[in-house]
Amino acid sequence: MRLCHCLFVAGVLLTLGLKAQNKQILYDFNEIPQSLSINPGVETDFKWYAGVPLLSGISGYAGSNGISVNDMFANDGVDINLKFRERALDVLTPKDEFSSTLQIEYFNGGFRGENTNIFYSFGGYLELDNIIYWPQDYAYLLFDGNADQLGRRYDLGDLKVRGSMVNVFHFGINKRIDRNLTIGARGKLYSAIADYSSSTNNGHLTNIEGQNNRIASNLNADLLLRTSGFQDLDAASDSETLGNEIISRALFGGDLGLGLDLGFTYYLSERTTVTGSLLDVGFIYHSSDPKSYSLNGNTTVEGIEIDILDNFASLDRDFWQDLVDEVEVAVPFKTDTKSYLSFRPTKLYASIRNAFGEPVGNGGAQTCDCTAGSSGSRELRTKYRNSVGGQLYMINRPRGPQMALTGFYTRRIGNVLALKGTYTIDKYSSTNVGLGMNLQAGPINFYVMADNLLSYNNIAASNYASFQFGLNIISWGRSK
Amino acid sequence: MKGVRFLLMALVGFLMVTSCSEEQDFDQLDDLTITPSYEASIFYVKAQETLINRVAGLNFFTQDFNFDAFEEPFFTNRVIAGVLTYELENTTSKPIEIRLEFLDEAENVLDTEVFSMDPAPTAILQRDVAYGATGKSLDIIRATSEIRLTAINLGDNSSVSSLPDAAIVLRSSAQFTLEL
Repeated sequence: MRLCHCLFVAGVLLTLGLKAQNKQILYDFNEIPQSLSINPGVETDFKWYAGVPLLSGISGYAGSNGISVNDMFANDGVDINLKFRERALDVLTPKDEFSSTLQIEYFNGGFRGENTNIFYSFGGYLELDNIIYWPQDYAYLLFDGNADQLGRRYDLGDLKVRGSMVNVFHFGINKRIDRNLTIGARGKLYSAIADYSSSTNNGHLTNIEGQNNRIASNLNADLLLRTSGFQDLDAASDSETLGNEIISRALFGGDLGLGLDLGFTYYLSERTTVTGSLLDVGFIYHSSDPKSYSLNGNTTVEGIEIDILDNFASLDRDFWQDLVDEVEVAVPFKTDTKSYLSFRPTKLYASIRNAFGEPVGNGGAQTCDCTAGSSGSRELRTKYRNSVGGQLYMINRPRGPQMALTGFYTRRIGNVLALKGTYTIDKYSSTNVGLGMNLQAGPINFYVMADNLLSYNNIAASNYASFQFGLNIISWGRSK
Repeated sequence: MKGVRFLLMALVGFLMVTSCSEEQDFDQLDDLTITPSYEASIFYVKAQETLINRVAGLNFFTQDFNFDAFEEPFFTNRVIAGVLTYELENTTSKPIEIRLEFLDEAENVLDTEVFSMDPAPTAILQRDVAYGATGKSLDIIRATSEIRLTAINLGDNSSVSSLPDAAIVLRSSAQFTLEL
């Protein structure tokens, strides 16, 4: 029963919305090949690696900074109407968000070139990403209405939502420039299956005292919802070919786009490293199945207004229909199928790390070729048991950049096990403790990570939950 | 050191396996009631005294107006209560009677509101008419397709009010509660 609850809560969390996930545990965890995916300039030592298809990298995140599942659905005997009002309607603001991300890597691999300073990587993954900010004034209009609110201005700009389902193919080059500097770049080809966004809304709805009648209702709207892919998916669903349509759109039959990731690792000293990466600098051109909906204009209505003297000759006309027509002309609802461009949510990572403690293995020289800087004919770099540091994460969002700060401690236990503990502070939580584990059993590499661990005794009360795990096969080549 | 490893791995395993949640009851959603109240003006009618004086006879104005707002399925299927508020202002020199009749599609009279106003100077008459559990039947509102407005001059056709722009003015607004 408890497991059912867990799965259900996780399901609800994952359907709340999607935010591009901060992978603070995976970042710069360079024993794991997938760390290349968030810093193409990470220092690698593999000769080659191959991710187990569909299992090499799975990550997900779901959450809200303002409310948890437990706040609403705890079986506490409190009327849900009261809970909703006290914990959501009267508390949440348009800055609060519901977001989630799900990323499934279906193939991933990498190999070192003839020039052993260059490492190539490639792969493909499916990403679902959604975010909705709490539409505060829409919620008040929906739950309370506008009665007895003369003069109150309902902000139609509160609606900000964006989401996509994208298949991504990527190819990256990681190059060791010298002993201290490694840089990397990865090109991405996006094939969008579906996309929607409504993030540039403006306007208001206000009831004020009327000039002629009791109330004047003023609607000033500049609303736009852009979608792509949904009509095709809907039609495919009706004809029971949804699976084929999704695959077709994922394999270049949908909207195409280009992106770029950049990254570097630089050793300030033998023990101190700085890294940085900029991810998803890219766009998608939505042209295969776009449909946009807009409501734009300004009107003030005081009901049917009949000045008998002025309208004496036309009193038989349909005043109600005339009023409806006037509103539709002043604030037309339009649809169109123009193509549009969307930009990917660009992410920035940066870190500084200081290693300390005993060198791992035999005085820093490894018993296997499994340390950074050891591959091929390159010079061995000493790797230490411990390291501490800090990381910065930023992501571009409809309401501006969001930021997270992470402090971390990494502990290597032989060549088999590496652990990374993190403490992250962001808008979701100030008690986010995470833990990642990388297990290397011969060529088999397994990693698992989760954060916000302190909430795990009651995950429903958590503002968010996230996980990452994966399975790879890694070769460092023959031992020297 | 082996102990530390064991503890760390045990901790990870423990968190992964035992993490769970307090009992949640998602069926509570069925009890969530959404009953907003919306408010807007309905109609405004103005008849100037100069017009009233020009029309011979008591009944100086009768007109049926199409009014489909209450017939919209979204509204009729969800309305659970409402209040129509009327405001009548008479700045003419005559006593006036206003009669509002709510008609269905077959032009049957469903309900009638009658307002009698003394000649100016007189206070603005305001009347709230409730519909639903504490008032008249909501079926009147749901079935209303037209509104018939009749204005009756209970005075003469020659007197002129000393007030500027003398007229009889009917203002109205509606406040309805819906169950979504």
